[in-house]
Amino acid sequence: MTAPLLKLTNVNKSFGPVDVLHDISLQVNAGEVLCLLGDNGAGKSTLIKILSGVHKVTSGAVEMNGAPVLFGSPRDASDAGIATVHQFGGTFPLMSIGRSFFVGEEPTKGWGPFKRFDSQRANEVAVKAVRDLGITRIDDGDRLVGGLSGGERQALAIARAVHFGASVLILDEPTAALGVKEAAHVLRIVLQARQKGIAVIFITHNVIHALTVGDHFAVLIKGAKAADFRKGEKSREEITDLMAGGEHMAELEAEIASYMATHEGHPPAITG
Amino acid sequence: MKNVMKIMLTAALLASTATVAIADGARIAVIGGKSDDAFFAKIKKGIDDGALVAKAHGSSVSYLQLQTYDNIGGDAANLIRTAISQHASIIAAPDWVGDSEDEAYKAATAAGIPVLLYNAGGGDKAKELGAINYVGNEEYPAGLAGGAYFATHGSKNVICVNTVPGAGNLEARCKGVADGISKEGGKSTQLPLPASSFGNPTAVAEAIKATLLKDPKIDGVVTISAGDADSAANGIQQAGATAKVKLGTFDMNETNLDRIKDGTQLFAIDQQPWLQGFLAVTLSDGFVNYGLKTATPVILTGPGIVDSSNIDATLAGAKAGYR
Amino acid sequence: MSQTQSPSLGNLLRRPETGSFLGLVAVFVFFTIFGGGNFASPTGAASWLNVAASLGIVAIPIGLLMIAGELDISIGSMIPAGSVTVAIISGHFHAPILVGIGVALALGALVGFINGILVIRTAVPSFIVTLGTLFAVAGLTLGLCVILTGTTSVAIKAPPEAKFLLGQFIGGAFQVTIFWWIVAVAFWGFVLHYSPYGNWILAMGGDKVSARNAGIPTERMTVLLFMCSGMSAAFVGISQAILYNSAQVSAGQSYIFNAIISVVVGGVLLTGGYGSIFGIVLGTLTFAIVNQGIYYTGFDANWASLIIGILLLLAVLMNNTFRKLALSYSPAKGKASK
Repeated sequence: MTAPLLKLTNVNKSFGPVDVLHDISLQVNAGEVLCLLGDNGAGKSTLIKILSGVHKVTSGAVEMNGAPVLFGSPRDASDAGIATVHQFGGTFPLMSIGRSFFVGEEPTKGWGPFKRFDSQRANEVAVKAVRDLGITRIDDGDRLVGGLSGGERQALAIARAVHFGASVLILDEPTAALGVKEAAHVLRIVLQARQKGIAVIFITHNVIHALTVGDHFAVLIKGAKAADFRKGEKSREEITDLMAGGEHMAELEAEIASYMATHEGHPPAITG
Repeated sequence: MKNVMKIMLTAALLASTATVAIADGARIAVIGGKSDDAFFAKIKKGIDDGALVAKAHGSSVSYLQLQTYDNIGGDAANLIRTAISQHASIIAAPDWVGDSEDEAYKAATAAGIPVLLYNAGGGDKAKELGAINYVGNEEYPAGLAGGAYFATHGSKNVICVNTVPGAGNLEARCKGVADGISKEGGKSTQLPLPASSFGNPTAVAEAIKATLLKDPKIDGVVTISAGDADSAANGIQQAGATAKVKLGTFDMNETNLDRIKDGTQLFAIDQQPWLQGFLAVTLSDGFVNYGLKTATPVILTGPGIVDSSNIDATLAGAKAGYR
Repeated sequence: MSQTQSPSLGNLLRRPETGSFLGLVAVFVFFTIFGGGNFASPTGAASWLNVAASLGIVAIPIGLLMIAGELDISIGSMIPAGSVTVAIISGHFHAPILVGIGVALALGALVGFINGILVIRTAVPSFIVTLGTLFAVAGLTLGLCVILTGTTSVAIKAPPEAKFLLGQFIGGAFQVTIFWWIVAVAFWGFVLHYSPYGNWILAMGGDKVSARNAGIPTERMTVLLFMCSGMSAAFVGISQAILYNSAQVSAGQSYIFNAIISVVVGGVLLTGGYGSIFGIVLGTLTFAIVNQGIYYTGFDANWASLIIGILLLLAVLMNNTFRKLALSYSPAKGKASK
């Protein structure tokens, strides 16, 4: 079996005296979507920041394709093939589509100190990349990103990640601010990315969306992984309960499990 | 949109031809100080009154004023050049910073435009630049007189507060005071404040108060403007030194004069600013239109000392706005 | 299928630079009407071109900083510091002119460096940081000047080569500074609009965190931009001292607001992320024309301030509208507007 594309083993993260992540172990394979579910404050953003190179782990290992990696900066992470699309931002509303697409990776023509930003090529590539993902409304790379809808901006960001050869795509609440139709469109794009062999980590509150695209689910509660299951192992109601009263559910389940272990598989009797 | 543009362009063309046609008398350009400068306002009054005479001869007076005193020399030089580009028939300007402005005066003369110095520069500078007149004070002699006056009236340790440092005429005042008082056995040092304090009475008052508190041997304060004298009076009062420290000033306003009458200010050195403005314009007008020129190129409007001996006549003129 | 179209009329009309251009034309026509032939003559043009040149050289880096999301008001003290430094070293102490110029420029770079480091290392907004350096440098300039020369105004007689390069009045009317302004415009225009670094500056102002995440060295860029603004201010101070043969310790306060006005009237958004060198040039020219044109009209010079104020308010309103339009989602494809 091939090594998972991205694997975290017993990752801990503390900011001074505050422990934010405890013993997180996760893995994502190429061509799969891992849905990361959890309430606010569960540690999802910190986890994303570690994966995208903003923070370093306090302890634990991060491996890509079986080899340990250490990201010193966001640049390191994106060079390694991890692309992150943040919920707000990530695109620059007052820049043109072409310029915004190529921020940090500007194509140039000319040489030496006279290297010029090749805006014609930037526009062409950006528009083509986004049209390939099914957004047909865009045909002019000089238009400002601010004039695009929320869904189109997400599509642009995903198209950018795909274009620059990301092998892992981390999406932070991509559908949270979108209407039903736009959300559906973005979900379709996520599946397209998956089809291209990209590993997708999809962070969301929305269980329905998660179930639509997810192959593999992990629930984070208060910085620890409370549940880890593949598609089909839990129903929509179970997952919602897990997230809602997740903590208590997890404790209860653990209690039942340990009882059953010492009582030959018999669940505890319901008293009173 | 197109029609509006057409109309505006035609109007512009007509206006430009019209302005050429109107003035057949002298086009007199006068460079002057800020409009909110109380001292220069008196010169401006003289200029405006002189303009009435000029207009009666068919001349026009264009007043180009500085907007700040931050860069007094450079800005004045720029305004002289602007006047040259306006094809003035004569340019009257104070020579505050010779290093910066002299080149501009010379450019005017080279372009065939006569120049007149007023308010600052002095007779020697006017002769050097080939100006037709110098109308104003001789600052250094005024300072000498002031310094001597302090000494003979009991002050031997005087500070000279300069709120527009760099202006040649004002630097000369303080130097004059220092030299004048040392002849009588006293001494004077300059307290230069940055030009940004000019017009900020609180800043000036507090600076003077602090200096007085720090050095109790000071027994006289002289300021280079009437407004500063008001601040100085306040500063002296705050330092509790009104009995000990005598106040004198260059130029004056009604508050100054009231204090002289009350005895809380020793004297004011008057350069008769209204006369400077009035003469600058009328002499310019006479020269360009009729070739009139005074036999003595230097017309001194000061220094005159106003103290308790001649305060009443001066007050009457001040109330009318002419002193 | 062609992906890039030439800008449509609708797009053109919606850009802030169009507003700046119309403003420039309007004031030019206004002052031609009321100022007559003298204003419109070449020597009349020299009046406002001279003002525009010094202002323009320092307005461009101020504009770039604003695009990148920062403000630098320390230029108000850096300009006179540059003047006084070169005047004391080469005028008062008679050292070679190159030494004076070199030290002044180095001082500008140092102050800019301090500004930049403080901005990136502390969470203090750049307006406050540069307010602090504004006062600190002003105090240093005044204090050192009085200690070294005893006065607050220093004379300098520059040697002929320096006068030729930095301090001559071409044709008796046009400051050579205009030439240096054109060089600055060409250089910065290339950087902002054609080089990848320009894209970085726009990104930093649009969303600094995202820019950093995209791999842009935002901290290094910030420090560099502040150093450029400090050095530009020092350069303007140096050229003013050589042009007018003297330096004053406080000759620079007005540049702060005038530069910000020029930049905002030129279409740079106060909140950052958008702007153009062309716009900054238009804004600078507009300011200079009003500031100097008033002298050709015979109106009281204070009316110039009123006109500037109105232009600034109009510019801010228009830029705000532009920002709203740019950020709004319109269902139909780019509607062409009349």
